Amino acid sequence: MGLQLTDDEIDALLKEVKQVPRDFHKKIRLKEKRGHKEFEINIAGADQSRFRIIFRQSKFNPLDFSVILGYIIPNTNQVFRLRRYNGKSHEHTNKIEQEKFYGFHIHTATERYQIADWDEDGYAEQTDRYSEHHGALECMLKDCGFAGLSADKAFLTGW
Amino acid sequence: MTIEAIKEKFRVTVCSQINLRQEGIDRYRVFTPFVFDDGDNLAIILKFVDDTWILTDEGHTLMHLTYSIEARELERGTRQKVITSVLSRFGLEDNHGELTIRIVGDQFGDALWNFVQALINISDLTYLSRTRVYSTFIEDLHALIEETVPEGRRGFDWHDPEHDPDGKYIVDCRINGMQRPVYIFALPNDDRVRDATISILQFERWGQSFASVGIFENQEEVNRKALARFSDVCDRQFSNLPANRDRIAQIIRGVIGGASPGDSSPL
Repeated sequence: MGLQLTDDEIDALLKEVKQVPRDFHKKIRLKEKRGHKEFEINIAGADQSRFRIIFRQSKFNPLDFSVILGYIIPNTNQVFRLRRYNGKSHEHTNKIEQEKFYGFHIHTATERYQIADWDEDGYAEQTDRYSEHHGALECMLKDCGFAGLSADKAFLTGW
Repeated sequence: MTIEAIKEKFRVTVCSQINLRQEGIDRYRVFTPFVFDDGDNLAIILKFVDDTWILTDEGHTLMHLTYSIEARELERGTRQKVITSVLSRFGLEDNHGELTIRIVGDQFGDALWNFVQALINISDLTYLSRTRVYSTFIEDLHALIEETVPEGRRGFDWHDPEHDPDGKYIVDCRINGMQRPVYIFALPNDDRVRDATISILQFERWGQSFASVGIFENQEEVNRKALARFSDVCDRQFSNLPANRDRIAQIIRGVIGGASPGDSSPL
């Protein structure tokens, strides 16, 4: 990862307004890959930043999933992971704080983990806000500046 | 501190970080101190299957790699060779993306260490991920089509919903509303040229009537054999986008304006 972002820059990207496409559920095309299912949807922010919603789920364990909001680094093929909503399929260890837990957890990009040469989203917190992948997607949309969320939540679960 | 005391410290520290937790019948999660670079610990399950204990990652390791490497990149070239080599050296099996190791006799500890070493070796593939300068070719082509074709008459990343519900054969843009729709293929590299060739042949097998257009990012860089095969099946090609923007736009406007492929239209 060539790009380093400060906490303020990360916060600004998270808050940048992102319009949920009207046909969001139609854009969700699950593709079968070796051992997992996935989809990716690109979204433009109000300030022209480019984002990508990334979903992965193991075919062998439905609780092994990730819903990721990535920032597409300009002029590269690389994605900087701003947030990652993980299932319950492994322990997580915050290497700097030396704390470990097992459960649903949310990764968030931080400046300090990048400086310490860990992955940008190496810090995570355990959560009980969701218990499956649809709930994780809803949490991500609520947390990360998405606008135009329909009151009808069918689009969140119809895939 | 004596060497015996140090040895005991090692033993206690390492052993205390290995743990099991039951999650179902004959299914246990194995906790170890080993982590990926994002702090997520390796996913390891101990299961009793077909009268044998196995360790499995339930597809987690390869899926985890796809956070930074495209899944298809794991199935070719150096990455594929590394994965195959690691699986072979440590005695693992790849069950359609699920990595497993069979436990022989009571050698649970040996199997665990082999499994852990293999998963860590495979996770190191992230260091082979390459940052590539991103070409704006695809975006530029999309922009040109959006400028030229009304929204209701274009569909990006189209696939045949009847014959191909999973989207194996993708058309970068399908222009509709004519007797014969136009399938536009964006061709930035050899792989995409080969994919487009296969797609066109498949559409023909399904009896579809269409006109195909291939637009290369740089035709001069495409593998000669791939280009020859594509040329055999594609109706119209453009060697690059920047030098052909006006011509492509003119042709598309002509087609959506009513010119049929049988007319003197370029398709």
